[in-house]
Formats: sequence, C-alpha cells, structure tokens
Amino acid sequence: MEIEREIVLPVPREEAWEALTEPERLEEWFANDVELDVVPGGEGVFEWDNGEVRHAIVESVEELERLVLRWDDAGRVELELTEHPAGTLVRVRETAPEWGIALDLHASAAWATA
Amino acid sequence: MGDGVGAVFAALADPSRRYLVERLAHLGSSTPTELASELPMTRQAVAKHLAALEHAGLVRARREGRQTVYRPDPAPLRDATAWMDRVGVEWDARLEALARHAAGREPA
Repeated sequence: MEIEREIVLPVPREEAWEALTEPERLEEWFANDVELDVVPGGEGVFEWDNGEVRHAIVESVEELERLVLRWDDAGRVELELTEHPAGTLVRVRETAPEWGIALDLHASAAWATA
Repeated sequence: MGDGVGAVFAALADPSRRYLVERLAHLGSSTPTELASELPMTRQAVAKHLAALEHAGLVRARREGRQTVYRPDPAPLRDATAWMDRVGVEWDARLEALARHAAGREPA
C-alpha cells in the first residue's frame, strides 16, 4: 500500500530537481527548516514550526530523475521527475511496509462489522 | 507516526498474530484453547500472541468462568487508516506549495 501524488511544475527538470533536493528550496514547500545531504547514505533533518522533527536517510539518488528517502520512524518517500509537455511531472510515493496488512484486515467485512 | 499506530503495525508484522486477528474477526470471539486446537501452535504460544494483540488494542480480553474470551477490536485500524489519510493530505498541501513557488519562479 502506498500514497501516490502527482503534480506538473511549469519549470524545466533541472529546476524541479533543485526544488526537491536543495535545502533552501525544500524550505519553501516541504518543511520550515531542512538539512539534507543528497548522496546515498546522506542524512536529512526536517523540522516544522509546530515542533515536529523527522529524520531521514537518502536511500538512492539518480540525478534529475529520482530521490528516495527512508524515514527513521516508518516508511519511505520516493520522488520522481519525468518530462512533461507543460514542464516537469513530479511523482511522490510514500510507503510503509506494514500498511498493506493493516488495510487488508480493515477491508475484511467480518472485521469491519466485528 | 503515533505510538498507537506503530504498535498496531508492529503487532500485525507477525504472521501468526495476523492469522489470529483474522480468525477472531471471523469467529466473533474465541479462547486460546479453541484457537490452539486449529493451529500448529501451543495454547501458551497463542495466549502470548493474544497478549501482544491486546497490548496494541487489536483484541479485547474478558474473563468468563475459567476461560479468557477474546474479541477483535477494529478501532486501532481505523486510527491506522486515519494516519494514512493524514499523510495524503500533507502531500496535497506540500505539492500545492511546491507548485506555487515553481510558478513564481517561472520567467514572465
């Protein structure tokens, strides 16, 4: 099970990549305070004004194409860029390994009416 | 992730415990003795798994005479799905902000 979202940015791929990987750019949309070392195994610290802090490790980097972060609490975020007539398509997938199990159970009719 | 949701996922990570939850959902209620009779597991092992599930809030135990009867409780799974909904809403908001900033940088 995963959450997937897509958006088209009206900018070239290089610029979209910067928005996803440069801390000062990530601070515009992802979190209020960002530290990120965009190399495999690099560390990321994301802080929000509400006091929430999340730590991540860079799982893989494919320049201008794909960035995968693994959260230290749960799950994984995959950011993918592809060419699009209107600019650059950004695809986000956030997954946690056990979600599928919980949802399969939740979906069972016997369980829902228990 | 909240502790409650983490405990739910941890409890369900074990295949035997998943099976027990599914059996309880199907049966409505059962006892460790009854569940052990249909599984390649001792009553003690079943009781241990049920205790872990109870700790995560996925089953409720009630003493009935000499037996402890277990019933499933779907409430924590609703918390888990609520958590997923929240992650989706967070991404909607983030990507909207990303698009806004990207459009702002677009040369006129």
